[in-house]
Amino acid sequence: MTGDGDRGRPKKKLKNSAKASHFVEYEELDYAEDFDEETGDRDGEAKKRDFTKLELKLDHSNRPLWACSDGRIFLETFSPLYKQAYDFLIAIAEPVCRPESMHEYNLTPHSLYAAVSVGLETETIVNVLNKLSKTKLPKEMIDFIHGSTANYGKVKLVLKKNRYFIESPFPEVLKKLLKDDVINKARISSEENRAGEAFSISKAPGEINTHSGLLDGVDLAAVAEEKETHSFEVDPSQVESVKQRCLPNALNYPMLEEYDFRNDTVNPDLNMELKPQAQPRPYQEKSLSKMFGNGRARSGIIVLPCGAGKSLVGVSAACRIKKSCLCLATNAVSVDQWAFQFKLWSTIRDDQICRFTSDNKEKFRGNTGVVVTTYNMVAFGGKRSEDSEKIIEEIRNREWGLLLMDEVHVVPAHMFRKVISITKSHCKLGLTATLVREDERITDLNFLIGPKLYEANWLDLVKGGFIANVQCAEVWCPMTKEFFAEYLKKENSKKKQALYVMNPNKFRACEFLIRFHEQQRGDKIIVFADNLFALTAYAMKLRKPMIYGATSHQERTRILEAFKHSPDVNTIFLSKVGDNSIDIPEANVIIQISSHAGSRRQEAQRLGRILRAKGRPQDRMAGGKEEYNAFFYSLVSTDTQEMYYSTKRQQFLIDQGYSFKVITSLPPLDSGPELSLYHLNEQLDLLNKVLSAGDDAVGLEQLEEDADDIALLKARRTVGSMSALSGASGMVYMEYNTGHGKKKVAKIKPKDPSKRHSLFKKRFG
Amino acid sequence: MPQVRIVAKNFMDMVAALPTMRLDKLYESIFICEAVLRSLTPLAKKYVVQMLYVDFPVTSKSMEEGVLPEGLSKHRVAIEQLLHLRVFLETTDRKKETSYKMNPKFQSNMRKYLLHGGVLPRVSMPLGVTVRLPTLEDLESYAQKQWERFLLQLINSAQAERLLNFSSSMIRVFQRGLLSSRENEDPRLTENGFQFLLMDTNAQLWYIIREYITTSEDRGVDPADLISFLLELSFHSLGEAYNMNSLTDVQSKAIKDLADLGVVKLQQGRKESWFIPTKLATNLSVSLSDSSSRKQGFVVVETNFRMYAYSTSKLHSEILRLFSRIEYQLPNLIVGAITKESLYAAFENGITSDQIISFLQQNAHPRVAERLPTVPENVTDQIRLWETDRNRVEMTPSHFYEDFPSKEVFETASDFAREVGGLLWEDSQKMRLIVRGELHQQMRDFLRRSK
Repeated sequence: MTGDGDRGRPKKKLKNSAKASHFVEYEELDYAEDFDEETGDRDGEAKKRDFTKLELKLDHSNRPLWACSDGRIFLETFSPLYKQAYDFLIAIAEPVCRPESMHEYNLTPHSLYAAVSVGLETETIVNVLNKLSKTKLPKEMIDFIHGSTANYGKVKLVLKKNRYFIESPFPEVLKKLLKDDVINKARISSEENRAGEAFSISKAPGEINTHSGLLDGVDLAAVAEEKETHSFEVDPSQVESVKQRCLPNALNYPMLEEYDFRNDTVNPDLNMELKPQAQPRPYQEKSLSKMFGNGRARSGIIVLPCGAGKSLVGVSAACRIKKSCLCLATNAVSVDQWAFQFKLWSTIRDDQICRFTSDNKEKFRGNTGVVVTTYNMVAFGGKRSEDSEKIIEEIRNREWGLLLMDEVHVVPAHMFRKVISITKSHCKLGLTATLVREDERITDLNFLIGPKLYEANWLDLVKGGFIANVQCAEVWCPMTKEFFAEYLKKENSKKKQALYVMNPNKFRACEFLIRFHEQQRGDKIIVFADNLFALTAYAMKLRKPMIYGATSHQERTRILEAFKHSPDVNTIFLSKVGDNSIDIPEANVIIQISSHAGSRRQEAQRLGRILRAKGRPQDRMAGGKEEYNAFFYSLVSTDTQEMYYSTKRQQFLIDQGYSFKVITSLPPLDSGPELSLYHLNEQLDLLNKVLSAGDDAVGLEQLEEDADDIALLKARRTVGSMSALSGASGMVYMEYNTGHGKKKVAKIKPKDPSKRHSLFKKRFG
Repeated sequence: MPQVRIVAKNFMDMVAALPTMRLDKLYESIFICEAVLRSLTPLAKKYVVQMLYVDFPVTSKSMEEGVLPEGLSKHRVAIEQLLHLRVFLETTDRKKETSYKMNPKFQSNMRKYLLHGGVLPRVSMPLGVTVRLPTLEDLESYAQKQWERFLLQLINSAQAERLLNFSSSMIRVFQRGLLSSRENEDPRLTENGFQFLLMDTNAQLWYIIREYITTSEDRGVDPADLISFLLELSFHSLGEAYNMNSLTDVQSKAIKDLADLGVVKLQQGRKESWFIPTKLATNLSVSLSDSSSRKQGFVVVETNFRMYAYSTSKLHSEILRLFSRIEYQLPNLIVGAITKESLYAAFENGITSDQIISFLQQNAHPRVAERLPTVPENVTDQIRLWETDRNRVEMTPSHFYEDFPSKEVFETASDFAREVGGLLWEDSQKMRLIVRGELHQQMRDFLRRSK
């Protein structure tokens, strides 16, 4: 910042004055440093791409999109063909950003892989794209589509009657595969084809109607045609290595996995149906139709925003396959929630479903059923108790019809590999809201689970009233002088985070917001803090209950129950254990006081906690009574690292069409001692506490399950570090009942209602 | 660089600013009278009509009699405007009572106009002579092209390209404010120049015309002549051809300058040549606040700071580049992003956040134009915040003093600095001082004395 001001001035003589300005405005010192990274991004002009040479079609105004030769696609959302074009693009391309008027997509090899795997063919992709495009399709793009889809989707791995077959409509591809030693050895030659060259031929039902609504006049008949498929059988024990050989880094014929569950007579059927009141919404229906497009079950990932009803999709899928189902969640609380969801939406009997966690080792009865457990329980490599060893054995030996994986973005790739190699399943379905990871490991998922089958558009769901319409705000809290002085000192480099989180202005802003939403609107509030020191300090000072890594399962359940039902508990403090999959439908306000560096995913997941639609549908629709019924505040201390991170974090949500309003005037200037930390000596007290606490104590809480941590901190965790202190290491395998959790449920002292802030006046008045 | 904001006032302010003699001379032209009448507020217009056939002064009291209390301010504005333009003349009699009288020249001209209508000093040429006149659409696109060509050249001049095809008098106009022309240096756009680019066409045209009129005296041209000619021009019919030989020397020179901007189109027949006024010419006397002439917008700004401009114009992409990062250029779409860096570059050039925002709002694509706000609130907020962020650091030229021989000298020096109100910072341990730069001489004298 100071650097920017330098430019306009005469250079030589005023060297001293530059120094002076530092002292006068010393608050600027650290700023330039923090933003170094950003100034490196000056290649903007070089990135500019000129496609003005593309030839516009005469009736271009009727067509909804532009396609560039580098794979970027722009889509007008106000085009009459938007809906069809959207469905098509989401199948073949990766959405980059989807705000109101114009969407951007990228055509990537992965997205095309996904397109092919849901049954779209190369020619169809090119034709439809060409029909929708305002310009003639650039040749490079056509070539790219051909090049990327040449191999994808040609080979399928099918588990039929417990025998693995490699299927393809192209015999020459199979021949090519068989030239590979590994695959050739894995082949089981059937009797009639002892000669080895011929493949068994069968008719496979073609694609059914998933894309028929695409476009009038687009010829999709070819897709629905019945096709001859050629196949050979492979040895079940060799399946993994065969799959490995087919990956892009080897033979480059990645295999699609399909499960012909209707013809599976070996595995017993599980008798469960969706209850009649379980009415999948249109987008849920659509995502299921992508999964079951041709009468078989495809493996893949379905991306729906939090609160949009992912669990119903999962349960519906299980009900269609009607085989044993293994459901993996990230923690014990969400295991409970999944079990509950199964019972809520389906006719499954209580004895057919069991939970397997460190606290809950329910035994599996009968020959088929649903098991809900955590990734950690399955992947744990150390010694287990006798009970769990037995259950794990059973999980290992069973042939699962469906492996249902929740929050697939959270789990590290190595854990996935382990889980997938341990469990034998016919079909894998991954569910997530945010397919972004800071460690760029998303592509791994494509090959470990399968391609992305469907991704919903957040803004469309908001407009449809399916998820809450959230007002996002970034609250800028200036650092107090004393805190900032300490923040700038070198010796406090490890305490920087604690200093900007404990910034008294932030505390006051947080208190103000809590009070405002509790008293004026009667809202339910979640306050998120990654920093345990801050979490404890805030929760104690404001006398609110809190949950963090070491809080026992019972304790968590109790606090959450109180939050849901008691009129006295309207605010809870959560550490990042609450980021994922804890379902708290009552909450409609989130205040984030500290967060994990630049994690876009965490921001989106936290927002997801309040996305479940509130109120009556007609009020929620655009133009309804209450335009916003949920609020997301991110509190940042100005001039600190936090500002930089905050911009990064919001990127994902901004790409989904959310906007953050900046609020600079909280706490309101006229607020006095009714908010805490009004007097300077209180603030200095707090400062002393922060400074005297150990470096470890003011650091981050770390949970093993979170892969982004590692990517973001670029630091290796050492045994007995922070997480051990915080008790978060309990997440690794067992959830200790340490009983350290503090439960403070106190009545809020009634105080004169704070004057309505001008900002809110505007919003509600 | 003095902070001169371009104030695009309207033509009439310019008229009013003329000396009395000249103004009265202007009113000899019926068209000036009409143009002035058109520019008045409704109430002032009514007063003119009311007084048109009144030959004696009317007291201000009697004029105020019919005014309701709530209309008083409007009344005052109207009277002030009329006096300003010398349509009404104020007289004060012995009893110090004010009365108003209409400017006789204005009055008689307007009466004439009422009875006989206005007759231009020249009539449009018969169709037989001018064989192929451009259609109105052609003419409009011609005007637009000329104007854009001019703006593009202005931008490109910043990229070291010469301003070709413009008469020296026009170039001098540009150099007043828009371009800096240091010796041995290629002309660069100035702060005003950048701001100019973001104004709408009417405001730009007015700016150029105003500068053209103010510089007229340097060229030996009477500004009043020019004003009356330009106003007259705005009464010519759009798309008709007028013979060049009906113009005076001054006028035909002006016409040639204006043709460069696309205000008129020049054509040549076998024997004669003629000019055809374009829409720019007929808009000359239109009040600037009049938005009815506004073009259709083309920009969509999204909540994620991305900007989509439906335009094929090179000019648009150059203008957008002033404050955004252009990422894609498609046959009929420009895709860009408003980033902190791109905005900082704009601020550096002297463009303000308000100008950027109003440019985006005024040029909003019809698809988003009805939406309120047309530019997402978070984007406008952020643009403003980035601007204020830059203004947080205040630069104070100052001097740094150290190596004081003794604590005593240091202390008296710092006391002195404090007394004269120039002490900015001191570190008594290391004996260092920072004092406002303008006080350096005083400090030096003081230090010399105290030695």
